[in-house]
Amino acid sequence: MTTKSAPSAWRDPVALLAAPAVLYLLVVYAFPLLWLFMKSLTGPGGLTIQPYVSFLSDPFNWRVVGNTLRVAAWVTVVCFVIGYPAAFALARAGAVLQAVMLVSIILPLSVGAVVKAFAWQIVLRRDGIVSQTLVGLGLWDEPQRLLFTETGLVLGAANIFLPFMILPIYSVVKLIDPRLSEAGATLGATPLYRFTHVTLPLTLPGIVSGVAFVFSMSVSMFVIPSLLIGDRFQTLATLTGRSFLLMRNEQLGSTTAVILLVLAVSIVVGSTWLARRIGGSQT
Amino acid sequence: MNKSKIAVFNRRTVLAAAGAATAALAAPRILRAQGKELVVGGAASHKNFVETIIAPVVEKKFSCKIVFEGSRSLVNLEKMQKNKDKQYLSVVMMDDPVMIPAVAEGLLDPLTAAKVPNLAMLKPGTIHMDGMWCNYLQPWLGIAYNPKAMKTAPTSWADVYDPKYKGRVILPSLQNTEGLANLFMASFLATGKPMPEAQKDIDAGFKKLVTIKPNLLTAYTQMPQAYNLLEQGEGFMISSAISQVALERKAAGAPVEIAVPKEGIFAMPSGVALVKGGPQPELAAGYINEMIGPEVQAKLSAATYSLPTNKDTPVPAGAPTNATIFGIDWKFVADNRADWVKRWDRDMAM
Repeated sequence: MTTKSAPSAWRDPVALLAAPAVLYLLVVYAFPLLWLFMKSLTGPGGLTIQPYVSFLSDPFNWRVVGNTLRVAAWVTVVCFVIGYPAAFALARAGAVLQAVMLVSIILPLSVGAVVKAFAWQIVLRRDGIVSQTLVGLGLWDEPQRLLFTETGLVLGAANIFLPFMILPIYSVVKLIDPRLSEAGATLGATPLYRFTHVTLPLTLPGIVSGVAFVFSMSVSMFVIPSLLIGDRFQTLATLTGRSFLLMRNEQLGSTTAVILLVLAVSIVVGSTWLARRIGGSQT
Repeated sequence: MNKSKIAVFNRRTVLAAAGAATAALAAPRILRAQGKELVVGGAASHKNFVETIIAPVVEKKFSCKIVFEGSRSLVNLEKMQKNKDKQYLSVVMMDDPVMIPAVAEGLLDPLTAAKVPNLAMLKPGTIHMDGMWCNYLQPWLGIAYNPKAMKTAPTSWADVYDPKYKGRVILPSLQNTEGLANLFMASFLATGKPMPEAQKDIDAGFKKLVTIKPNLLTAYTQMPQAYNLLEQGEGFMISSAISQVALERKAAGAPVEIAVPKEGIFAMPSGVALVKGGPQPELAAGYINEMIGPEVQAKLSAATYSLPTNKDTPVPAGAPTNATIFGIDWKFVADNRADWVKRWDRDMAM
């Protein structure tokens, strides 16, 4: 996993291929981000950390942070549980079936989040299909509404972000030699042992990027919560949107945006590092 | 058609700024428009009624050309701020809450009876801040409901607190202008004070409003979503709903009605004002005068399902005739709204 290659990556001319991307990201991402960060630190009397102090000293805002992270974590878990086996099915399917599956995973991406969120609104209603199915199966005594609940939000968001979990894992699974697992079997490893000691570590890079994609998208989603759960459930992203769009309070908006970014980046980087360590210790 | 008008106008300003008028093809139209062209800024949703109802009357009377720029209230404010030294808009049509910062920044000229004689015909409470702007329409706020889901129409603003509507009531978020009505009405119901005093007692309003939580299906920021829920029967009532929106849905055949609660209805803001330093001050005053005159008022109120502000204009068919109409103190709202939204987040969180 940890490749100790190229003693001086800096002098590698191949690195130049990244130049257009680096330039583009500097202009459209890094500089505006820096500007945002400076904005959050600039008060009427010059440089200040007051916006951060007052944001973090309000217990309600901790609840908002909690909402944001909890929902993003659940969305990631649901996507993983559904997406991981699906990625295997996709990688091991025959050519025709694989093409059908890929299209059915990728095509829904072209339907915007707004349309999907509206569709979920119908599905999650009191007389919607989920409620009716659960009542029909005897799991619920009476029809209940999932719309405008956290469960509904997680289900809807997981649906929208699922392709971003399946595709990175699929691209890794595709490259795994099936004979590795068979070799394990000939050496007497049980299926569970083979999975935890051969397959799982090999798919770890795919899992890491799938989790990073889904987590960072769901931690910052704005349209989906505003349609599936409404104004009564604030997240850092909805708070940021409102600060800029309604209250025209750029300082509060940039403060919450920076906090969101720092949280998302540190969780994604931290979990990647952890996964690599675990993966490394097992191989 | 409309696009070409705007294109000509843009070219005109560009040329004027450059000090050169040599665009051969466009020249005749530019010259004709130069003396008598009135640029009106408003919301995109106003475009239809400005061009089909107001403009024909004004253009005929003053033999001029109306150019309407439809965007949003806040965009109009920015246009005026950026062009403070050389305004090109002469009239702005904006929501009342946005008029307040425009007044504070000295972007508006007051309306006077000398310039706009029809001001004398306006209902009380429709001229604001000593004539800085007036209301040309009153879309009103009542309770929208789904007649298929509710056999009897709501009769009071207190009905939405009735436990039998558990999970069936939709409120606008407090960030939506129409959402303010619920806060003021909650205070009115809780304190029994007259509305002008009740709308200052925000604490009482919040204490009452939180008791609606068990009934709350959702608090929306996107209005189409609220109507979607109402029409599908998942929600029974939207409290409070804008007459124009609800009655347009009804006219389109959706199962939507709007009730006039016995306590009264709220008048929503639709303001019009003169831009200070605008290029056509007399024409602008004439435009506003016609807008609040009897002919335009009758057509405008019917087409927008709103109440006329001219007291001599009959209320259009289907609109409430004898209801008490509550006004909103927009200055007070502007000064306090950020704090209210903050409290709303905390108190109404699920």
